[in-house]
Amino acid sequence: MPERVPVVIIGGGIAGMETALTLAEMGYESLIVEREGSIGGKMILLSKVFPTLDCASCIATPKMAAVRNNPRIRILTVSEVRKISRNGSSFELEIEKKPTYVDPEKCTGCGECEKVCPVPRPDQFNAGLTVRRAVYIPFPQAVPKKALIEKRGLSPCSRFCPLGVRAHALVALLRQGRYQEALKVHLEAAPFPGALSRICEAPCEKRCTLRAQTGRPMSIRALKGFIFQEAVRNLSLEWPQAEGPRVALLGEGPLSLSCAYFLRKAGFQVFLFAEKGRLGGSLRAHPEIPEEFLEEDLRLILEGIELQESWEEAPEKLLEEGFAAVFLERAPGTKVDPRTFETTRKGVFAPPEVPASLLQEIHLGKEAAARLRAALEGKKVSAPYKLPKSGPLEGERRLLSEEEALREASRCLDCAGCCECRSCERACPAGAINFSQKAQKLRVEAGAVVLATGFRLFEPEENPLWGYRKYPNVITGMQLERLLAPTRPYNAVMRPSDGRIPGNIALVLCVGSRSLKEGTPRCSRICCMYSLKQAQLLLGAVPFAEVTIYYIDLRAFGKGYEEFLRQTQAMGVHLKKGRVARIEPAGKGDLWVYYEDMEGAGGVKRARHDLVVLATGALAEPALQRIVSAEIFDELGFVKEAFPEKAPGQTALPGVFVVGAAAGPRDIPDTVVHAQAVALQVVLHLRRSGFAA
Amino acid sequence: MQPEGKEKRIGVFICRCGGNISDYVRVEEVAEALRGEPGVVVSEVHTFTCSEAAQSEIMAHIREKGLEGVVIASCSPKLHQGTFRNMARQAGLNPYQYVQVNIREQCSWVHPHDPEGATAKAIRLVRAGVERARRARALTPVVVEVVPQAAVIGAGLAGLQAALALSELGITVHLLEKTEAPGGHLRNLPLVGEDLLSGLLEEVSRRSNIKLHLKTQVLSRAGGPGQYRLGIQKEGAEEELEVGAFIVAAGFAAYRPQEGEYGYGWPGVLTLGEYFRWLKEQDREPFFEGRPVERVAFIYCVGMRQSQGPHSYCARFCCPAALRAGRLGAEKGLRFQYHLFRDIRAYGVFEEDYRRLREAGAFFIRFAEKEPPQVEKAEEGLRVRVKDLLTGKKELEIPVDLVVLVTGGVPEPQGPLAESLKLPLSADGFLAEVHPKLKPVETLFPGIYLAGGASSPKTLEETVASALAASAKAASLFLAGKLELEPRVIEVLEEKCDRCGKCLEVCPFGALKLPEEGPVQVEEALCKGEGACVPVCPQKALQVKGYEHETMEAVIGRLAS
Repeated sequence: MPERVPVVIIGGGIAGMETALTLAEMGYESLIVEREGSIGGKMILLSKVFPTLDCASCIATPKMAAVRNNPRIRILTVSEVRKISRNGSSFELEIEKKPTYVDPEKCTGCGECEKVCPVPRPDQFNAGLTVRRAVYIPFPQAVPKKALIEKRGLSPCSRFCPLGVRAHALVALLRQGRYQEALKVHLEAAPFPGALSRICEAPCEKRCTLRAQTGRPMSIRALKGFIFQEAVRNLSLEWPQAEGPRVALLGEGPLSLSCAYFLRKAGFQVFLFAEKGRLGGSLRAHPEIPEEFLEEDLRLILEGIELQESWEEAPEKLLEEGFAAVFLERAPGTKVDPRTFETTRKGVFAPPEVPASLLQEIHLGKEAAARLRAALEGKKVSAPYKLPKSGPLEGERRLLSEEEALREASRCLDCAGCCECRSCERACPAGAINFSQKAQKLRVEAGAVVLATGFRLFEPEENPLWGYRKYPNVITGMQLERLLAPTRPYNAVMRPSDGRIPGNIALVLCVGSRSLKEGTPRCSRICCMYSLKQAQLLLGAVPFAEVTIYYIDLRAFGKGYEEFLRQTQAMGVHLKKGRVARIEPAGKGDLWVYYEDMEGAGGVKRARHDLVVLATGALAEPALQRIVSAEIFDELGFVKEAFPEKAPGQTALPGVFVVGAAAGPRDIPDTVVHAQAVALQVVLHLRRSGFAA
Repeated sequence: MQPEGKEKRIGVFICRCGGNISDYVRVEEVAEALRGEPGVVVSEVHTFTCSEAAQSEIMAHIREKGLEGVVIASCSPKLHQGTFRNMARQAGLNPYQYVQVNIREQCSWVHPHDPEGATAKAIRLVRAGVERARRARALTPVVVEVVPQAAVIGAGLAGLQAALALSELGITVHLLEKTEAPGGHLRNLPLVGEDLLSGLLEEVSRRSNIKLHLKTQVLSRAGGPGQYRLGIQKEGAEEELEVGAFIVAAGFAAYRPQEGEYGYGWPGVLTLGEYFRWLKEQDREPFFEGRPVERVAFIYCVGMRQSQGPHSYCARFCCPAALRAGRLGAEKGLRFQYHLFRDIRAYGVFEEDYRRLREAGAFFIRFAEKEPPQVEKAEEGLRVRVKDLLTGKKELEIPVDLVVLVTGGVPEPQGPLAESLKLPLSADGFLAEVHPKLKPVETLFPGIYLAGGASSPKTLEETVASALAASAKAASLFLAGKLELEPRVIEVLEEKCDRCGKCLEVCPFGALKLPEEGPVQVEEALCKGEGACVPVCPQKALQVKGYEHETMEAVIGRLAS
């Protein structure tokens, strides 16, 4: 039976929150489905808001807390509605709650995980101006204040390692100088990091995303060699108590050593029967492997196991002596079960295939350990063994200096987000990290659905004439909002190229708005006012700055807005009527703004600025179009109100409502009024349709 | 309330407000200074005390440390007193034992150049707050029943929509209309408003619980939230309506140009409303007073955006309306259109009207406020002279058949209503909402809401949205059936009262009564606790709960010490 709730609200920005709060005031319950890790939408990211210049946090933060604390409102974050189907007069919704890999019940929001995570990601809550970690709490006022992990499976380098080495984690930890931790991550999955750094076929490098993009993959083996060289000398592994069955292994090659290593890690009493001088087998005197590498590789393994120099024991005798099992590295002519690795003699095990490379030997040893363990613990193994493919050795494997290694490691794209180094798991005092979390499907029956998905901003890199991402000192209005916000990243307004405080700033209006060529042909409604506000705030933050606004029309149309415009003018902000045509570099990080001089002599003029801010247009959020039928959208993809002059928010589908900027951009005061009105429409609909929760 | 015996356990929480406070006030120092205060068992700093995470931590302190008083030093109580009172209530602390100290507006924002001084001041203010918390007693809100009927003042688009919404929720609505017919501005928008209006009126006439009172004016407001009494005059006779809540939907008046303003009063010079009415009567070849009309000038911002003059604001709806007027005119053959504007505020989708009109060949000419267009009589029709800012201030002379003055809206009904209903006005002369983002349709008085043009001029869509928003707020009240009011009202120290009656004279709310015998009495539902009566009492027999004489003296003493 799906859960029943009168109203599902898709989107937890100011529109969704206000709708939910108004519904709750009228006695109606709702469920907010938010795709980010916190409610708050775009508003919580803003600095101060026009025309009252309240700090946005000061208004949005308590609204978020009120939503959270209201017994009539439930919030699902990191969740998306996948399907909406009509069921009589009500709706059935399929909601996907995505895994965050953090148990929200246990997480206290302390942030210890963020301190140890080695993976930086662009911070979407700082408009990409800074980085956050792959495990992160969205922002200080987040609701709920819970960590989540950005993780899209595993990076291909880690995913395609037959040994299960988290190559991405090695690189990420290396970048932070955490060489020993990196080495431990390797040893968790496989022994012989030293030898592997020289003669692994490295499927990781063949699958590296950078290889596909640039032809030059990350030199993971060279980095591994660097880590090994830096960290192995002082490293001793911690072994568990050896309380398990006694196992004898006969053989001196990497296969036996690998098998011994994993059995010992599982707590078995491991006895390796081999001649000390021949340990390492084929790896000894290998031209590619430095002698000290092999020595250290062997030392790490031998610290945990008993080496028996009487290597010519017969298996039967060993079994008689009380060993629970015997593993033979070489058993020519013996028939071996590819599933269990057991030979025809009970208690005697051997590899079913002959490995041809180090990678294969270690893999086979690891598998042998797992199968022996299964046999001794009475478990079944279902899949027959298959050797991983072997390939040619190619690519960079030379020793790197620290500088070279760090430079190489910094090329990594962190393409899957989380690298599974599990540092967070160790650091979390609450035990909240859970990598086995899966996506959950929820089914909810609702009497009404409210679309409160807001808008997205025009991306000015679509048009090279704006110079965005080409010249570092061209930023967007949203980025300036972050630079001005009380929770701003650098506590100062600085220009990106050199951190200098800008002195002559251009605010360019109608970037991707009122244009038939790009973005939207309509007016985005908010940019004139927020640019006027930013101009005022800039004069506060950088008192000697010159601020120029390039505009077509100044649309200060709301209550108190014209007065705000006049105040901005009186503060000395320059208002220039003219559409900006293009932005070009002027040297020293400065920029030429080319504009149409509409009120002067005419023609195109240019002006030099040291920071240019693009007020980007507000466009329709496309995510909705996958779940709601096309008839409710207008030609730009915004949700159409069927009768705006009679029933605000009502769409062409009875019971489906739209609120706020999802119906077309609007500022916060207009959104709040709209949300309150739509909430009433929803209540009237529920009463008419007789939905009872 | 002198603390006696056992010291009250008090928690102090200092807010950084992101950096709004901590950029200038050294908050750690403030927290440290408070740790030594008598009774303070916890004193700590949070980045945003109003955030959900900080609130849960504070609530945990209240429960675990058994706090009997909480002081939060953050922003103005206007912003977050309610937030934190709710938090206290949830944690099991009486909300009136919570004290808010404003170290943002009063310290960091006013002393950004003196961190030292701002910090010292903050410490003093918080210490005084602690003193207040030590003496704060638990108070319980005054609960009043909500009278289950509503009034809507004004039967224009906003009022009709509000009445219909409330009526559908089962609430009896008195719809009060000053004129002889409902409809407001819709009656003057024959092309755009007609169908809408007739539909609404038909619906209203079907609702038995909507009582439409025509030729009715509101004279006075008495009573308190949930139980207002509106004095009305209906066709000359005075009546009283008892309502739980009411919505002011009295709209705005269209600006009427002065005689001679842009030639107003001459044949062929029309306001936007007059133009719409004229256009409705025209066929494909329009005529005005017997002459064919092809050439029209629209002059924008008439009476609006005045840097000298009473109407400094932008009336918002007029640009979209004028563009619509132009498009409707073009459809009827007004082939040569000149739109004389200051800024074309075609916000949102209205941009499409603007573009289509330009594509249809209309000329847009920008003039400066200081050099407005001149309208002159010509041999044939009219002539408009204007300096075009977009072509280097070239003076243009445009012969036209018609001049349309794009007039905005002015707050004409607001003045008398503010007077009779005792409601505050904004600087622009419209009725004031509490806060444009937090409470855009609410007034300072619970149960009184603003819809449509009452608070600022709006388009039709925006009017309906605000009418329904106001109805949602009113509906919450009616659906709950009762209302909790602020308990910080006047209390009478009965043994001190000598029945002099001076307090009755100064109370603006009529909340005090002098019975035949005994001391003065307070009607708590009417009292707003604003305290005008306190200083006039020669016996010090009146005090505001929570601001008792002794408390305030101790608080001031602590502040000064």
